[in-house]
Amino acid sequence: MNFFKRQWMVPYLFLAPALIGTIAFKLYPIFIGFWESLIYTSFSGGAEKRIFVWFENYQYLFDDKIFWKSLEITAFLTIIINPLQIAMSLGLALLLMRKSKFIRIIRSLYLLPIGIALPIATIIWGLMLDPNQGLINGLIGFFGIPPQPFLVSENQALWCIIAIATWKGVAFWMLFLLAGLEDIPKQYYEAAEIDGATPFQKFRYVTIPQLKRTILFVFVADTAANFVLMVPMIILTKGGPLQSTNVLIYEGYRSGFYYQDWGRSLSIITILTVITLIVIGLQLLFLSEKNEGIKVK
Amino acid sequence: MIMHFKRQWSVYLWYLVIFIGLIITILPFWWGVAASFKSNSDIFRDLAPINIRAFLPGFSLESYFAIFENDFGRSMLNTFFVSITSVAGGLLINSMAGFAFAQFRFKGDNIIFGFVLLSFAVPADAIAIPLFKMMRQIGWFDTFYALIIPMLANGLIIFLYRQFFLGIPKELIEAARVDGLSWFGVFWRICLPLSVPVTLGAGLLLFVFQWESYLWPLIAAPSPELHLIQVTLGRFSTEYEMVWNQQFAASSIAGFLPLVFIYMFQKQFVSALTGVEQK
Repeated sequence: MNFFKRQWMVPYLFLAPALIGTIAFKLYPIFIGFWESLIYTSFSGGAEKRIFVWFENYQYLFDDKIFWKSLEITAFLTIIINPLQIAMSLGLALLLMRKSKFIRIIRSLYLLPIGIALPIATIIWGLMLDPNQGLINGLIGFFGIPPQPFLVSENQALWCIIAIATWKGVAFWMLFLLAGLEDIPKQYYEAAEIDGATPFQKFRYVTIPQLKRTILFVFVADTAANFVLMVPMIILTKGGPLQSTNVLIYEGYRSGFYYQDWGRSLSIITILTVITLIVIGLQLLFLSEKNEGIKVK
Repeated sequence: MIMHFKRQWSVYLWYLVIFIGLIITILPFWWGVAASFKSNSDIFRDLAPINIRAFLPGFSLESYFAIFENDFGRSMLNTFFVSITSVAGGLLINSMAGFAFAQFRFKGDNIIFGFVLLSFAVPADAIAIPLFKMMRQIGWFDTFYALIIPMLANGLIIFLYRQFFLGIPKELIEAARVDGLSWFGVFWRICLPLSVPVTLGAGLLLFVFQWESYLWPLIAAPSPELHLIQVTLGRFSTEYEMVWNQQFAASSIAGFLPLVFIYMFQKQFVSALTGVEQK
């Protein structure tokens, strides 16, 4: 112990590069984002002028219909996409737990979308969903369904983006659930079987409680990821048609990079960050409390 | 007999569901790769009306030649450069931090570790805009620095190394210290060589992360000479909207390398990713 005291700097030297990087490029930007949201930049007369305006940017935002519409779309997307992805990932993980001669290859094939970057997935799906010549319209036409507008329709565009993000995301979240499922001791299932449990009862009283921590982790991480989902909007829809895919993160991006309104942009980002933290906090609060009640040990 | 019959049915049903799922998973790849070897007019001919040829690969390399005339090669080289430097730098600094957390008790260690954990809960895309403003202030905007340096420190990888280093027997390290090895020597000569499995997984994560990044390079380095592969792809999809075969060819090339790496090191990749869960 004495030894460490003499060399008290050693651990800090080991830490320094990564710690400086973390603080400067991951934590400090959150602070700058908030600070800059209190500033109004005017370009009158060609000169850039920065004025500290307290919460005026937020005030403008709250009077803005586009912002409220965007918030509504974000809320709708969040409510649909997260449970959908979790349910599908869990379903797939359970399917892939079954023993089969081909299980290794089947599992590997299902992991394909993980290796494909979201921009690539977006581009390919964009072409598949092309209203005039796309593969999907060709395929459904084969079954006598009339061609659909997909990404150019106000009612379908957001659902298309949900589909693309889900196609890309399910395999990724499934990995965690699969690892969690494989961690559950086989004896628990054997014991349940001896007690005459049906497959559903085994799922309800063994799998779910044992997997709760993993599900919670996946739910929180997936929610955080989907709050910033905007690659399909940047590449395919630009928030349209008629703002139907204009989620908050995209509205923030657009306010800054298209209209140079950084005060507005960063107010939106700050609001989104606060919403994300609140939602994640609530998830942790409600789900982990239940966890302690049912935990089997 | 009835039991047996029922079991059979559930197996068939399982195969059916798995098969449908596989089609949905694989169809975009299959179609994209097949179409990348066709001329543009052939792609459209096979689609309207749709016929089986849409799923058969063509034999034309036209699209592949065309994308390399369109500066795709440059963005590939850029991406290699950025990915490889990020892997090297990221592995070094994060493994050092992991070593510090595993080997030493020091003032503030728990708080600092808490900050590190907090940092990987912050989604990169949420801080992209303030980070972009910061890059402009410090003059890194539109340089390779902006693409590489902010992405090096990574909480997840620090965490992975810490967990691994905690498992190295203390006696081994004490013996080395008694023999007069410096702490850096202990880290460099003893701990790091032992950590091949973590390093493979963590390196792969860093590589894939950079290879697949889109939003940050899009806003931080807009000059065409600095474009990374995903940015170029995004550009193709707007500038050459109707040139489908080039979009497919570029996507196929960009998707190929991460897939090969992930499949080569599937085990390490999965355990690095899910390491968060396994204690």
